[in-house]
Amino acid sequence: MSWHRSLLTALTCAALAACARPAASPAAAANAPPPAIAYEAHLAAGGIPPAGGVLGNPHAGDAAVAKAGAQLFTAMNCDGCHGAAGSGWVGPNLGDGRWRYGGADAEVFSSIYYGRPKGMPAFGGVLGVDGVWTLVTYIRSLPVPSDVPTESWEQP
Amino acid sequence: MLRQPFIFILLSCSAACIPAGAADAAGAPPGVAEDGQWTMPAKNYAATRYSGLAQINAQNARSLHPLWTFSTGVLTGHEGQPLVVGETMYVVTPWPNVLYAFDLRKEGHPLRWKYRPDVSSNALGVACCDAVNRGAFYVDGRIVYNLLDGHTVAIDAHSGRELWKATIADLGSGETVTMAPLVVGDRVIVGASGGEFGIYGWLKALELKTGQIVWTGHNLGPDADMLARPGTFKPPYDGGVDVGAKSWAGDSWKTGGAPVWGWISYDPELDLIYYGTGNAAPYDPEVRGGDNKWSASVLARRPGTGELVWAYQFTPHDNWDYDATGAMVLVDLTIGGKPVKALVHFDKNGFAYTLERATGKLLVAAPFAPVNWASSVNLASGRPVIDPAKQTGVSKGKVTGVCPSLEGAVSPASPPAYSPRTHLFYTSTNNLCMDYATAHASHLRATPYVGVDSPYHPGPGGNLGAFIAWDAVSGRKAWEDKESYPSWSGALVTAGDVAFYGTLDGWFKAVDARSGRILSKFKVGSGVVGNPIAYRGPDGKEYVAIYAGIGGDWALLAGDTRSDDPTDVRAPADYMKDIARHTSQGGIVWIFGL
Repeated sequence: MSWHRSLLTALTCAALAACARPAASPAAAANAPPPAIAYEAHLAAGGIPPAGGVLGNPHAGDAAVAKAGAQLFTAMNCDGCHGAAGSGWVGPNLGDGRWRYGGADAEVFSSIYYGRPKGMPAFGGVLGVDGVWTLVTYIRSLPVPSDVPTESWEQP
Repeated sequence: MLRQPFIFILLSCSAACIPAGAADAAGAPPGVAEDGQWTMPAKNYAATRYSGLAQINAQNARSLHPLWTFSTGVLTGHEGQPLVVGETMYVVTPWPNVLYAFDLRKEGHPLRWKYRPDVSSNALGVACCDAVNRGAFYVDGRIVYNLLDGHTVAIDAHSGRELWKATIADLGSGETVTMAPLVVGDRVIVGASGGEFGIYGWLKALELKTGQIVWTGHNLGPDADMLARPGTFKPPYDGGVDVGAKSWAGDSWKTGGAPVWGWISYDPELDLIYYGTGNAAPYDPEVRGGDNKWSASVLARRPGTGELVWAYQFTPHDNWDYDATGAMVLVDLTIGGKPVKALVHFDKNGFAYTLERATGKLLVAAPFAPVNWASSVNLASGRPVIDPAKQTGVSKGKVTGVCPSLEGAVSPASPPAYSPRTHLFYTSTNNLCMDYATAHASHLRATPYVGVDSPYHPGPGGNLGAFIAWDAVSGRKAWEDKESYPSWSGALVTAGDVAFYGTLDGWFKAVDARSGRILSKFKVGSGVVGNPIAYRGPDGKEYVAIYAGIGGDWALLAGDTRSDDPTDVRAPADYMKDIARHTSQGGIVWIFGL
């Protein structure tokens, strides 16, 4: 496993220039406490959402991090399931603006960090917190076409 | 009617049984009549998918019509085929791999029982290409089949009770199980998918009574792992000690793929099982220099011990994801005036091969669809004559216009049929080419090990597929029925000289086996990627059954064919923009009759 970590560190470092920050070390980050999630898009029983800290993306909107995330998306074989640029294959399309488990930063983080049923592996162990945020930043940067629910084959 | 001699067989017949008439059971031992059942995936050990039933023929097939349907409740690709044993039909669904037993004696065919195993949903993310299952095997009162999450089960065919459940594969290593087992004597032969996850491909034999693993033979690696023993293993062309490891750069064989997700056949006289191996991993061939034996190959083993007897590689140093997991059909042909015990195989790489099945020696290799990665196959060396311009790799960037595409000139999931009456093979084909740009992939357990961008284009002629009849002696097409979409179903041919297949846009068709003329067609609700079977019902009449249910490859869901997940919208693929106009997902079992 060790070479995976070196590979990741190298990839993340090269792209992020963030290696000086302790949080960028996957090994250290993997020991950090699990993040709390605000399930804002989910229904709450009794109308009372569960308590938990707001989880914010430290790199939200950062184009350089998004670019690094694009490299990680390939290097971590995300494209092997979700297709090139997340266009959908075994795993769902990540660029259609629709989400199984919520599309807010924290929800996408949770899907990648912990994995999901029906085949999404947990990448938190190998990527660490900052690696996952890097991927989230990339995925959230994908251009989302306007959602047109109708597909017609009739001549206009 | 009959245009060649046949043996008329006397049946010991109960009142419910009808004389077999023109029964001419290819692959069945001489003297064994057509029993009207379908007890193993390809009808017989020879994998001919030929039924000796002849009630439905070229004259009356126009009145075929649906008599019964059943929704499986599962939306993924319905590959494989039902079994009919006595008065019961058995159906295995894709994940979650439910096994249904239908009572064919009763109106509406109510269930006798169903078996609903606990199959891990994690398998859905490890199965590269949809959560398919290619069918079950019946033997000695047991139904044996594989679960996607790496198990084999044996079920009491009468009660539905689980007799044993064996762990054969490791999801965490990228292994899933989609293939149909073959049972020979007291050995259940199984293999694993995972060519897209860099598995160390293998074939295993379990004890029929207990599910205990008796032997494991890897498809690549050192001789000891491959059960290749000096003096026993005699490949006709490329041998040498540990060739399964030495033909790979460094230790790339350890993650080299060569999975087993197709079909196994068996010759009882030679006591050899035959199966094909899948692609070499990863898709970038430059990180695994050498021939990469025995990926993209056919292997012959002894079922009792697993000993490797011979192997032949269709696509050395696979550059294009040309799995060789398609069926190996065992037929006796006359070539150059001499009788030959042959093995015939339609490969993803676009060539149809006729081999001598005792030795693996190549006799005929001819393209059955547009091919340009190789101009021919040298019969003396057994090697393809490759066009260097079509070789791929990271250093080569995007290589354009490779035919066939990595979907194959035929999908290995779409097995052919052979009629001993017409002496022709029948198979679906795809007419697709591709661009192929490989990228570096890292081997990370439980994630894909692929690295390719490979958009498809229609091949020459405009049609994306065809159903063809093939002469394996001359290496020529006898006729073809063009299809608008890639043709993805298996084939069936009967003693009534009718061939059956389904289309991706959801038609089930019966055609004249001698001319290809369409005799009847019916729109079955979803694209067909399953394999038709013929059987004799308890009422003595001939029936044909087929699954509808598009899937089995995510490329087929282009254009938002998906209907089960509102959060997953798929753009149309350039090569097949309007497939979603004609079909949606949904598994249905159909029975047709006169």
